[in-house]
Amino acid sequence: MSGHGSAQKGLATRAVQALALAVSFGVLFALTHVIPSIESRLGTMTAIGFLVLAGTLLSELIEPLGLPHLSGYLLAGIVGGPHVLHLVDHQTVKQLLPVNTLALALIALAGGVELKIETLRSVAKSLTYASLIQTFVVLIGMGGLFLALSRFIPFASGLELRPLLGVALLWGALSVTRSPSACMGILSQTRAKGPLATFSLGFIMLSDVVVVMMIATAIMLARPLITVGASISIDDFNVLGHEILGSISMGTTLGLLRAVYLRLVGSQLILVLLGFGFGVTAALKYVHVDPLLTFLTTGFVVQNLSSQGPKLLHAVEQMGSVVFVLFFATAGAELDVPLLKQLWPIALALCGGRALFTYIAASISSRLANDAPVVRKWGWSSLISQAGLALGLGVVVKSSFPSVGDGFGSLVIAAVAINEMIGPVLFKMALDRSGESDRSAPAARPSLPPPAGAH
Amino acid sequence: MSDGIWLLLGLLLLAYLGSNLVGGRAIRGFGLPSGSEYLVLGFALGPHVLDVLGRSLAHTFEPVVLVGTGWLALVVGVGYVRVGERYVSPARAAAGVLLGIISCLAVCGAVYFAAPFAGFRGFSRLAVALGIGACASATTRHSVRWVVERHGARGPLADFAADAARASALVPPLALTALFALAPGGALPAVPVLGRVGITLAFGAGLGLIAALLLGRDFRRDESWGVLLGTGLLCVGAADRAGLSLLGAMIAMGLTLAVSRHRLEIKAMLTPTEKPVLLPVVLLAGAYVNLKLPTPVFVLVGLAVLAKILVRVLLGAALSGRVARGTGADFGVSMVASGGFTIAVALAFSTRVPGVAADAVLLFAVVSTLLGEWLAPAALRRSLERAGELHAVDPSELGRPSDAPALLERESHG
Repeated sequence: MSGHGSAQKGLATRAVQALALAVSFGVLFALTHVIPSIESRLGTMTAIGFLVLAGTLLSELIEPLGLPHLSGYLLAGIVGGPHVLHLVDHQTVKQLLPVNTLALALIALAGGVELKIETLRSVAKSLTYASLIQTFVVLIGMGGLFLALSRFIPFASGLELRPLLGVALLWGALSVTRSPSACMGILSQTRAKGPLATFSLGFIMLSDVVVVMMIATAIMLARPLITVGASISIDDFNVLGHEILGSISMGTTLGLLRAVYLRLVGSQLILVLLGFGFGVTAALKYVHVDPLLTFLTTGFVVQNLSSQGPKLLHAVEQMGSVVFVLFFATAGAELDVPLLKQLWPIALALCGGRALFTYIAASISSRLANDAPVVRKWGWSSLISQAGLALGLGVVVKSSFPSVGDGFGSLVIAAVAINEMIGPVLFKMALDRSGESDRSAPAARPSLPPPAGAH
Repeated sequence: MSDGIWLLLGLLLLAYLGSNLVGGRAIRGFGLPSGSEYLVLGFALGPHVLDVLGRSLAHTFEPVVLVGTGWLALVVGVGYVRVGERYVSPARAAAGVLLGIISCLAVCGAVYFAAPFAGFRGFSRLAVALGIGACASATTRHSVRWVVERHGARGPLADFAADAARASALVPPLALTALFALAPGGALPAVPVLGRVGITLAFGAGLGLIAALLLGRDFRRDESWGVLLGTGLLCVGAADRAGLSLLGAMIAMGLTLAVSRHRLEIKAMLTPTEKPVLLPVVLLAGAYVNLKLPTPVFVLVGLAVLAKILVRVLLGAALSGRVARGTGADFGVSMVASGGFTIAVALAFSTRVPGVAADAVLLFAVVSTLLGEWLAPAALRRSLERAGELHAVDPSELGRPSDAPALLERESHG
């Protein structure tokens, strides 16, 4: 993802970018609307080209507005996607989903590498308070709000109190999820350094573990409330324990192997990452281990048990510059605009409530932890975004409770869509205003080796 | 885990090996000049021998293969005007193109007349003739480089061989551009043939210009790959969808980038990607080879191979003593070498003309590559020896295309 430092770009540059954007839209529009009957085996590849190019250019063009690049990628996907201009159809969007696997692996690896033990130690108190209070306040608050608004929610209005309590509990648990991808995306773009960036990264990456455990607990507790005749089963915890311990041990092993590779070979890292992203993820899913947690641990081990962290981070960032564009542009194309149109009032109310509870929880926790002023003021801003993790867990809830699943899933999609668009803007604004964004010009000439003294 | 994942991992492993071959001294001490061992490996894994790489599984990766062929054309285009540290001289470039065109037309003519006996009639007759002609026109620069670097050759003949090989790579994309424009159907039926050729090249050049403008304004680390990948994939996909030659469009894009302000940076970015893309493409091409063809098709392919060798020998003899010491029939044989790019041309051919014609063209490309592997390096070594250019320098002093970052550094200081 692009860095900062492009404020100096003149009108001519913007004009060229706008022209290039118009050409990319024009070419695909002509292909899909003027000659729609001709089938091509390269439809997916064309879509990748379009989304990468349009996403990159749109992110540049919205930069003067202070918006994050991520919003540009999303916007390119929404406009070019199946619900607006229909340049990329539903089928192609589905075929692009494997990119998510790779992107999430990279995000988790980068997140793990960014977590240094000494940094974590310095914010351990903040993270502990924030984890406890955010989880508690948002879970209870959002569950309560869902109950209060239930008569306006189409699938919940007819439910009796018992199942309604179960659904509210699930909604509360899902509201605690954050977006590691959005956090990494904004931090990568702004190259921010400081207490706010450190707190946000540490909290969001660690919250992955908390959220997975909490969703499992919520599902376990909600099952007897929603499904008649069902009872609480602690088997869910057995599976969860296996998954978490398995992920950490696999991640540690992979991290050590990767550190050895980086030390002894250290070349072709992009190809190795590709193999890692696709091959290792498939293997981990096969043995029912959570890839996100595994890769997070891998990155953490490489950073903290070897000296190879910066090398790995550099490779991830280099590859992420293209993969993240595609990931977010695909997310934009996937966004169900008609559904959002239909559910936006209630989704917006729920998102507003979530933002409010997040803000309240952040205020309480940062006061108790005696955080730096910048974290007290802006600590909540990075916690608004939701993306793939929430959607993934929404699918789990949907399949676990078929009776309310469809309506629940739709509302999750609508709410995540809003948080996905607003959250990154807020976080970038906070980093900019707190002065943590790096405004120096980013490195040029990608393929050149760094100067000899740089190592 | 699915077979697709295993195949993907296998291809990534191959790309990994390819990257290492580009990266260091391996070029002089490891592998065959044209990389045909990967072709044989693909064939061995394919449906005719071990059937590990079944037809349907191999075809799952067809879009990736086609994008790979386009990407190779882009790399060839971007590096077209330079060999290592030298610019290709216009005269030698013209000679290389001319030699390629003569080979193309001669082989095309021979196949055209023999094609009806193998059952090709109407457009498929012209298609198979021009397709095989296109595959017969290029000499792989990797084979020349392999010999020159392994034996530390330097001199007019080594330079001529390298320049002619590089220049000849322009002919196959142009031949396919013409063929695709001639093909019935497609998205632009109302546009005349020459217009379709022009549109193909202008489309590639236009996207190349846009990429050059975007990169030229502010060559930044983060956007450069996005811009190159985005424009490249859009170019390949749009050309294929419109029924135009993706190789023609991509080489036009590459040539446009080759004259841009940041050509050295772009070359430094793209050159290391060539082998990692080439080897998986070649491996899958090996698996695509279809031997269940009528006997007359094999005879036609054999005839085409003989025609190619004959025309190269005649051209070598015609050049004797004209461009450099050491040219002659042997030098002609050395130009028989073909490699991954020729295979890519055959694969690109199948996007517009599928069926037996595509199988015949691929078979020709494969046979031609294997035969070239056997004949060409030894012939070039003999020519260079006769010219007194062997062991002129320490091989480590010779620049390689992968030295682009070093070249860039040197140029910016000088």
